[in-house]
Parts: sequence; structure tokens; C-alpha cells
Amino acid sequence: MIAQFIDGPLWTFSLSVFLIGVIWRIVTILMAGNRKDLATPRGSASAGAVRTVFSRSIYERSAATRGRLLLIAGYLFHIGLFALLFFAQPHIDFIAERITGLGWTAMPHWAFILSAELAFLGLLLLWIHRLLSPVTRLLSDLDDHLGSILVFLVMLTGCLALAQSFESLRLIHLLSAELLLIYFPFSKLMHTFTFILSRGYTGATMGRKGVNA
Amino acid sequence: MNGGSNHSLVGHGVKTTVIRLLLLWLFALPLETVADTKESRGLPSTMVLNPAAELWRDVRQRDMPTSGTSQVRGVDSGVLINANGDKWRKFRMQQLIPIGGYLLLGIIVGLTLFYLVRGKVKIVAGASDRKLPRYTSYERLIHWFMASIFLFLAITGLIILFGRPLLIPIFGKEIFSVIASASKEGHNLMGPLFMVALILVFVKFVRRNIYQKGDMSWLLRGGGIIGKKHVPSNFFNMGEKSMFWMLVLVGSVIVVSGLVLIFPVFGQSREWMELAHVGHAIGAILMIGVILGHIYIGSVGMEGAIDGMKNGYCDLNWAKEHHDLWATQMEKRGEAIANEDVNRFSDPDTNESLGRELREAGK
Amino acid sequence: MARMKFYCDPERCIECNACVTACKNENEVPWGVNRRRVVTINDGDEGERSLSVACMHCSDAPCATVCPVDCFYTTQDGVVLHDKDICIGCGYCFYACPFGAPQFPEDGAFATRGKMDKCTFCAGGPEADNSSAEHRKYGSNRLAEGKLPLCAEMCSTKALLAGDADTISEIYRKRIINRSASVMARGVSYRDASFRAPYNSAAGKSSAKE
Repeated sequence: MIAQFIDGPLWTFSLSVFLIGVIWRIVTILMAGNRKDLATPRGSASAGAVRTVFSRSIYERSAATRGRLLLIAGYLFHIGLFALLFFAQPHIDFIAERITGLGWTAMPHWAFILSAELAFLGLLLLWIHRLLSPVTRLLSDLDDHLGSILVFLVMLTGCLALAQSFESLRLIHLLSAELLLIYFPFSKLMHTFTFILSRGYTGATMGRKGVNA
Repeated sequence: MNGGSNHSLVGHGVKTTVIRLLLLWLFALPLETVADTKESRGLPSTMVLNPAAELWRDVRQRDMPTSGTSQVRGVDSGVLINANGDKWRKFRMQQLIPIGGYLLLGIIVGLTLFYLVRGKVKIVAGASDRKLPRYTSYERLIHWFMASIFLFLAITGLIILFGRPLLIPIFGKEIFSVIASASKEGHNLMGPLFMVALILVFVKFVRRNIYQKGDMSWLLRGGGIIGKKHVPSNFFNMGEKSMFWMLVLVGSVIVVSGLVLIFPVFGQSREWMELAHVGHAIGAILMIGVILGHIYIGSVGMEGAIDGMKNGYCDLNWAKEHHDLWATQMEKRGEAIANEDVNRFSDPDTNESLGRELREAGK
Repeated sequence: MARMKFYCDPERCIECNACVTACKNENEVPWGVNRRRVVTINDGDEGERSLSVACMHCSDAPCATVCPVDCFYTTQDGVVLHDKDICIGCGYCFYACPFGAPQFPEDGAFATRGKMDKCTFCAGGPEADNSSAEHRKYGSNRLAEGKLPLCAEMCSTKALLAGDADTISEIYRKRIINRSASVMARGVSYRDASFRAPYNSAAGKSSAKE
């Protein structure tokens, strides 16, 4: 009974909350608009926007010496999670079956496991650092902790269900993912989508001024 | 004679009968000869030896390799009898599980008794008003990273090892198989992260764990755990150093054997897998035992022990009592910091820049 | 009740692998898994002997002893079976088995093995007899239909015998007696009359080569 609930109504509900919530938040950000810049543009805003969206993926010089561990952990976690989410065979099958109707090529199984390991490594290092370092410990609020816990739970339950043979483990993983989806639009996890807006905005403003940001 | 179809012995002429008797006698001759061959002389016919008797005797006594070839492809498919399998089974079921189980149980009971008798090791001079910086942020990070990975691996590993005798009676087979599958998958996936943690810990702490003068006498005096006599020590005392080297050496055995076990794809035979399992299990039980002691001291066993790992600073008097040589050195260098100053670093009311950052962030 | 066993007569086995093929076909065994295999010792030399090996359905099965989730059970006929729903694919039964009977359908890193599969004496598994679930997971259940395993039925030389242990040993005993009697006509013992040259452990190979 709980199984049918998790697979059925709760899935639909969580997916709807996620989609509607994300779209709503992005729309409100865009609708907020920006002050018109009356100065003569010295360069292209759109080119600057596109440039900055990609250029900010490269780290800033001082991070390589002063924040090296966190820098590496950050990359490991994000790249690993992205690979896991969209290129692991079980996830592609799930999305193809329930959302898009069609799938795409998955990465080989060993790459799936490797991404999981790297993502876990990054997440654990980042999370423990957040709890230990006095600065981040003071800065972190409920939103931060809840987001960390939920993402960790989803990854852990996914790891436990890796044998793909036990229905209860799959359902626990799906349930934690649904809770994450419901929480997503109301939290800072929205940076998954808003990073494009913020990077683009900075790049556009700077691009208009003729500066490479 | 008649040229007819009648072939019975009876009703024929004498000549036919004689010929037939002759043939019968001719046939009977070899029977007599066989009855006289040296193999069957004195032996009933069922005792004639199997021509491959020696082959199978040698196979059974393992005097010849118990393997041949097979059309079925596989690493061990030509092996007829895996003799080590039974040795391994006996080791796991009759030695590892009972002895390992009682050993760990004994350590837990022993630690409990020790606490009840000795009590918490207090700071004799009482907590001082100054602290020494002990561990940096990075060192604490990799320690707790290692600790969380180790705890996860230890619990999942113990579930796989002791689950059948201890947990199946509680949960039943269906639920336990879910727990066991989750433990196996989790254990196999997190294993390589232990390797990463081990390397990080080794690189960071190896310099302070090299044997120094005074370590042996510390060990011989038992570190002063019994009684209140003061025993000098460096940054790490001999107990901690021994634990570090045990962690690194036994941990390496566990890592290497674990890698052999989770990658059965490199053509290793069952013998290698069994050997890896034995090393992995013995190493793990030993390590869990030692870490139980480590956790005991760090938590309830000793006052002031965990502070260094929690916020990076340790009490000055604690350092003077347990790591005398290091503490006096640090004090001489002026590294001792007053308690208020330590808290100030993380108190926004006194730390101006921190307070400003927090306000700007809207906290 | 019967005590089901296999017996393979190495004097008759001609390594035709009909047993292997019959089993794989009848039980629709997954890719890469062979429940039964024929092992040949001294292949190519005189003194060559072949033996068909699958699960021996041991009375005191080491696989059952060592399984961390206790998924094995022995039926009333002495057939050792296991429950694939409980199996976690750890591989310990494969390490413990002297005959290498347990097989695994996947060969992945991180010990991803999939559920263990092995010879069931054509007796299916814990699912309902001859149900589609049972056939999908464990292969055919011939024993429930009163038949014997297909490997033994298909053996071209009747080297592989399967059935109640008493019956099989009686059959084999009679064979031994008949072997001795059938070569009495040639005035030699079976040892010298066998179409296979005998094995000489002292020389390490057969005496016929010298």
C-alpha cells in the first residue's frame, strides 16, 4: 500500500511541485526585471552573458592554493552527481519510463560506480567541513543543513539499492528523492537553475561595459 | 542335411549335435583360462580393479592437480575439486565468527569494566584558562571523514559477518536479506573511499607519528593509565603512534584485500578470493577492536581528549599532563591562547569581521 | 524418502557435453552461466578421463553453511536448493563449494554478481511447482512431474546417472560386475581391455605409452 503510494500519487505530487515550483521561481526572477542602462554599450551584453555562464565554471586562482581541498571536493561532487543523475542506466530507464518516453545512452557500469564514489567523496568532505569550520558552522542555517541531509540521503539510499533486486530498497530511494524534489524549489538548491541567471546577469552587465567578467 | 528351417538341437542328426557340443566346449575353454589369470585368481569378479583407480586415488588424495580442462570457459572451470573451499568454510564458520565475535564482545566488556573501575581520566590540575592549538581545520576534516567512512564500513561489514546468527532470529530471513543486500552494496561502494581517507590521514599525520626519544619508556610505564603518575610524551604518545601504524599497516591489508574482493574480474581464482577474505576479515576485526579503544578514550575515557578534534584547541593543563614535551614547547613559543580569545574567533559579538559578514549575509 | 544424487561414470563419459547442453536448454540458464560442466583430466594423453560436474547436492552442504543470508534449503528428497529472492549475490557459496556449482550471471566490478544460479536437480525452487515464476527464476521442475534431471536422461553413454542414491549405486554395481564378465572372453582383465589406457601414477602418465 505504501509502495503504491510512493510509486504513484506521491511521485506525481513531488514531480509537479518540483516543476511548477522551479518554473515559478525562475519566472518571478525574470519578471523582477532590471534597471534600464542608459549608457552607450561598449560591447555585447548577450555575448558577455554567455561567456560568463561558462567562464565561471573555471576556478579563481587563489582557490587553488587557499581552498584547494574544497575546490576539488566541489568539482567532484557536482560533476559526479550530474553524471550519476543523467547518465546512470537505472536513472535513464526511470526517466524514460515515467517522464520523457525516450531514453539516451548510459555510461558503462564501472563509470556509474566511479561517479557515485567521487560524488560521495565530494559530498562527505564538503558536508563535514561545513559542520567543522567555525565560519561555515555559523553561516549555515536550517536550509543549508536540510539540503545537505536530503541530498546525502538520496545518494546513500541509492547506493544501498545498487543490487537493483530489492523492491523495498528501491522504494526508500524513490521516497527520499521525492522528498528532495518537494523541498527543492523552496531552498537554495535552486542554484541548480539560478546559477545560469546570476552568471548571465553579471556577464551581461559587464559585457555591455566592454569587460570580460 | 535337411537344409530346412528347423534349428533346434533336439530332433537333428547325431552329427549336428556333436558339432554343437564341440563349439560349446571351444567357447568354454577361454572361460577356464580367464578363471586362471593372475588378476582374478582368488578374487571374486566384482573385485576387478578399475583401470583408473590410481588416477582417482591421486585426485582424492590431492597428489595430482585436481584440475583439467573444460569446454565451459571460466577462471576455475577446469578445477575438479576446490579443496581450499572447505578450509575457508571451516575458518569462517568455526573460527572467525565465534572467535571474532567473542573478541569484540570481550573488548566492549573490558572497556566497560575499565571505566567502572578506573573512571574517567580527569585533568589533575583542573581545566586551565588557556588553550593550545592542537589540530587544524584540515586535520579535523580528514579525521572525521575517516571516522564516518570507517563507522559505516565497520557496521555494514559486521552485519554481513554476524547477521546470520544474530539478526536473522530477530528480523527473519526476508527483512534481513534486504538489510544484508544494502550492507553489501554500501560496503563495496564505500570501501575505496576508505583507501582515499587512509592516504590523506597517512600523508598528514605520518611526520608526528615517527618514533621519538621517550616513546619506549612511555610504553613501558603503560602511559600512566593506572595510577596518577605523570608520564612525559610528545605531540602523539606511543599509544597513539602504535594506533596510527596499526591503522596504516592493517588498513593497507584491508584495502588491498578489499580491492581484490570487489574486483573479481581480473581472473583471480577462488583461492585468491578466499585468501583475500581471510586477510580482510582478520584485519577488520583487529582494527575494530583497536578503534573501540580509541573511541572509548576519545569519548568517555578521558576528560579533554575530544576537544582537540572538535574545535581544534585543547586545554593547556590537559596538554601538560598528557603531552608534556609538546605542551612546554608550545608554551615557550607563546602559542597558548586564553579561553576568551579562542571563543572570540567564533563569537560574532567580539569578532568584528565575522559579525559583519554574518549581518551582510542576513543572518 | 529418496535421497537424490548424481553419479558420473568416468569410464563411460566421452566428453560429448550433451549433459551441459541439455541442462542449459531445459532450464533456460542466463548468459555466461553453465550449471553443469564436463572436466577432462589428462586431456589428450592416454589415461584421459572425463567427469560431468554440477551441484552434488551434498548432505552437509558447505554452501548452505556459509551463506550470510541463509538462503539454502534441502528438500525432502535431499535436493539442495536456494531462494533467489533472498540471495544477495555475495559469492561465498562459490568459494566454499568443492565443485564450483554456484554460478553468477554478472561479472562486474565492486563484486556485482547478480543472484546465484546453480543446478537444481531439475527440481525448481521455492516458488509454486511448475509456475511461470518458478520456471523464469530456477528453470524446469521435472521432479514435480515425476521425471529425473534432463542431463542424466540425455547422457549419450549413460555415464551420468541421477536418481535415488540406492538405485544408482545398485546400477553402478551391476555395471562393474558386467564389465568384468564381458571381457572374460578375451582372457584379460578389464583393466587391460578398456578402450582407455590405464593411468600409472608412478610414471605420471599411462603405462600404455611405454
